[in-house]
Amino acid sequence: MNWLQRRVRPEQIRELSLMAIIVVAVVLFGSLIDNYYSFRTFNRIASSVAIITVLGVGQTLVVLTRNIDLSVGSIVGFTAYFVGTLIAHHPAINPALAVGLCVLLGAALGIVNGLLVAFGRVPAVVVTLGTLAIYRGVLVDLSHSKTVTADSLPQWLLDLPLINVVPFGSLDIRALFVLALAIVVVFHLGVGYLSFARQFYAVGSNPEAAHLIGLPIKRLVMLSFIISGALAGLGGFMFLARFGNITVEAGRGLELSVVAAVVVGGVNVFGGSGTIVGAMLGAILIGTLEQSLYRLGISEFWLSAVLGLLILLAVASDAIILDRLRALWARTELKLITDSKPARPS
Amino acid sequence: MNSAAGAEPTQPPMLEIRAIGKRFDATQALDDVSLSLRAGEIHALLGENGAGKSTLIKILTGVHQPDRGQILLDGQPIVMRSAAEAQRLGIAAIYQEPLLFPDLNVAENIFISHGDRGAFVDWRRLYREAEAILAELGVALDVRSPARGLTLAAQQTVEIAKAISMNVRVLIMDEPTASLSAHEAEGLFKLVRDLARQQVAILFVSHRMEEVFELADRVTVFRDGRHISTRPRAEATPQGAIADMVGRELAGLTAFASAARKELLLSVANLGRQGVFEGVSFDLHRGEVLGFAGLIGAGRTDVGLALFGIEPATSGTITLAGEPIVVRSPREGMARGIAYVSEDRRQLGLILPMSIFANITLPMLRRYLDRFGLIRRSEERRTADAFRTRLSIRAPSVDLEVAKLSGGNQQKVMLSKWLNTRPAILILDEPTRGVDVGSKAEVHAIIAELAAEGIGVIVISSDLPEVLALSDRVLVMREGRQMAILERAEANQESVMTAAMGARQ
Repeated sequence: MNWLQRRVRPEQIRELSLMAIIVVAVVLFGSLIDNYYSFRTFNRIASSVAIITVLGVGQTLVVLTRNIDLSVGSIVGFTAYFVGTLIAHHPAINPALAVGLCVLLGAALGIVNGLLVAFGRVPAVVVTLGTLAIYRGVLVDLSHSKTVTADSLPQWLLDLPLINVVPFGSLDIRALFVLALAIVVVFHLGVGYLSFARQFYAVGSNPEAAHLIGLPIKRLVMLSFIISGALAGLGGFMFLARFGNITVEAGRGLELSVVAAVVVGGVNVFGGSGTIVGAMLGAILIGTLEQSLYRLGISEFWLSAVLGLLILLAVASDAIILDRLRALWARTELKLITDSKPARPS
Repeated sequence: MNSAAGAEPTQPPMLEIRAIGKRFDATQALDDVSLSLRAGEIHALLGENGAGKSTLIKILTGVHQPDRGQILLDGQPIVMRSAAEAQRLGIAAIYQEPLLFPDLNVAENIFISHGDRGAFVDWRRLYREAEAILAELGVALDVRSPARGLTLAAQQTVEIAKAISMNVRVLIMDEPTASLSAHEAEGLFKLVRDLARQQVAILFVSHRMEEVFELADRVTVFRDGRHISTRPRAEATPQGAIADMVGRELAGLTAFASAARKELLLSVANLGRQGVFEGVSFDLHRGEVLGFAGLIGAGRTDVGLALFGIEPATSGTITLAGEPIVVRSPREGMARGIAYVSEDRRQLGLILPMSIFANITLPMLRRYLDRFGLIRRSEERRTADAFRTRLSIRAPSVDLEVAKLSGGNQQKVMLSKWLNTRPAILILDEPTRGVDVGSKAEVHAIIAELAAEGIGVIVISSDLPEVLALSDRVLVMREGRQMAILERAEANQESVMTAAMGARQ
C-alpha cells in the first residue's frame, strides 16, 4: 500500500474530484457568461447554495439510514408561507421566535414522515411522496392561494440576507451562507463524534446486524426525519428572508435539487456512507449549476433534466468507480503475527 | 493440546440448558434438549440439516425464545428476550457470514454494541483499545480501515474481537470455517484454542469431521430436534457420530421398483460453475431416478440450476441424447426438454394470487393462443383439469387461487406446470419440503410413475430416507464437489452421510 492509499480514502477521492468539477464548472461558466466573476454572481449562488445545503444536511441523515425525504420542498413552502403570514400580521415578533417557529413547524411535519416510515413500515419514498403532495395541498387550501408580499414583512427580515458577516477582501460572506456553514460544522462534528450519531451509519450499513445487536433502529429513523423536517423548516425561514414574496408555489421542486446535491455529494443511496461536507460540496455544485444555467437563459425544465442526469451519473459512478477504488484499497490482509507463511494473494 | 480444564468432569457447567423445547408451526424444532458447556471447553455440535442446531443457536443468543425448558448461566436461570440481552450476559455468536457494518471501520465495529462509552466518541482511545484487543488475539489489522473489503477470515477475527470486548463467556460458532481456506481456518483454530484457555466456553457447530475431531473436547449429536449423544472426544469416532446423526427409522418409506432403462438420456462430464461447484459427472437414463444427496450448501441445487440454465455452468459438457448442448437460460433448458421444479415454491415457483390453471399453463402459454393471439381459457382449464385428476390435486376448481391450497397441493400444481412442458428430464429440488406426510407419499408415487413413463428424474433432497426410497442411484456432494455415486445396493444412510461429511470409511 503506497502513501497515497494510506492517507486518502476512496470516499475522499470522490470529494476531491467533486471540488475539481466545481472549479471546472465555474471556469466554464466564466467563459460563457459575461461578467460572471462578480460579487453579484457570487451572492446569488451563495444564497441558493445556502438553502440547498441546509436541506441537504437533513437529507443526508435520512439517506444514511436507507431512506429518503421527498417532502422537504413542500415543508419549505409550508413554513415559509405560514410563518411569513404570521410575521406579516405581527411585525413586532421576536426574530428568534420566528426562526424557532419555522424549525418547530418543520420538525412537526418531519414527525409525521418519521412515524409513518419507522412505525407504519411504509417505504419512505411512498410516505414522503404522499406528504409532498399533502403538505402542498394543505398549504394551497388554507392560504386560499394568497401571497405573502415583501412589503408586508418587517425590515429586519428583508435586510437579513444582505447582512455581511465576514468581509472577505471585497467579497461578502452573507448571513444565510454563514448560517448554512454553521449548520454544516455542527452536524459534521455531530456525526463524527457523537456516539449515538454514528449509529445512523450503522443502521444504513447493515440493518440486519443493527437489529441483531439491538440498535434503536426505529428511533434513529424517526430522528433523521425529524431533523430533516426541522432543517427544512429552517430552510423555509431562509427562503422567506431571501425572496420576501412567498406564493403557494414556494420551494416547489426543491427536493430534486436537494436529493441531487446529496447523491452527487457522495452519500450512498443505499445508506451507510457519505459525509455532511460531501453533501455541502454537492449543494455548491448544484447551486452553481442552477444559477449559471439560469443566467444562460436555459429553461427550468432543462435544468431539472440536468439535475436528473447528475443523480443518475452519481449513482452510476458510485456503483462502478467507487467499488473499483474500494477494491484497490481493500488489500488489508489479515496477517497473524505468529504467521511465518506469506499471506495469500487476494 | 487442548485446554485441560475442558476435560475436568468435576467442574460445574458455565452454561446449561435443561429440557428446552421449541415449535414452529407444525415442526418441533427442538424437543426436550439438554446440554451443558463447561468453562474452557470446546464443545462440538453435529447434526444433519434440520437437526435443530440453528434453532438452539438462536435460542442461546436471544433471537428466539424457547417454549419450554430453562437456560442457566453459572447455575442461575436466565431469560434472554433479545440478542442485545444475550450479549450483555456474555453470550455471543459468530456466524458463517459475519454481521459487520461495512461502512464503519474495524475499531467502530468492535465497540458498536457498547452503550457505555460516553456520549462522545474518543477516536484515539477507540483505536488504541481496538488495537490492544487485536494484539491480544495476536492479529495485526488496520483498525482504521472500513470493514468493507476485509477478507472473510479478517471479518471473523473482528467478530471475535467484538465478543472479547463484551467480555464473552460463552462463544457460539456456527460453521465458521465453511468459507475459509485451510490456512485461514488454522488461524481461526488457534484463536479458538486461546479463548478456551482463557476459560471461555465454546460451542462449535461444524460439518467438517476432521476439524471437529481436531478441536473439540466433547462431541454432541442432535437428530430431528433431539439430543442423541454427548461423548468426550476420546470416546467418540467419526463413524459413531455419523451413525448417531442418521440413525433414524425409515418409517413407512418403502423403496420403489426401479423403472430405469438402458437408453442413455443425459450425460454430464466435469460440469462446474466458477466458485460454486466443480467436477460433477454423471449419466441419467430414461426412466431412472437419480438422487442428489448432501448437506445444505453442498452445491446440489447449483447443479440443478446449471442444468436448467438459471445459473449456467462455466465448465464441463452436457450431452443430451447423444448431442452436446449448452444451456444458457431457462428458455434454452425448456426447449431442450429439461424442467426444474424449484425448492422455493413461494418465491420462484408459483404465482400465489393466480389461479391453478393460470399457473400450470404459464410456461407454455403459446400453446393456448388462438389465431388472433388471444388465450383460449377453455383449453387452459382442460389441461389443468386433466392434471388435477391425474395428480389428484385437492381443489374444488382449477379457478381457485394457488395461495389457498395446502403445501402438498401447491407442490402438485408446480409439478403439473412443469409436466405440461412435456419434459424428458425433470429436476425436482426438495419436492416434499413443508409437505404433510400423506401428500408426501402421493408425491413420491407420482415421481415413481413419471419415471415409469420414461422421464429421467433428478431428485435433490435433504431428506435422506426420501432419496434412498426413490433413487436408482445416489450422487453425493460435499462443498461443491461430487464425492460419490452410490448404486442402490450400496446406498444407505451411513454410506451417504459418510460421503456427505467427507469422513473416511
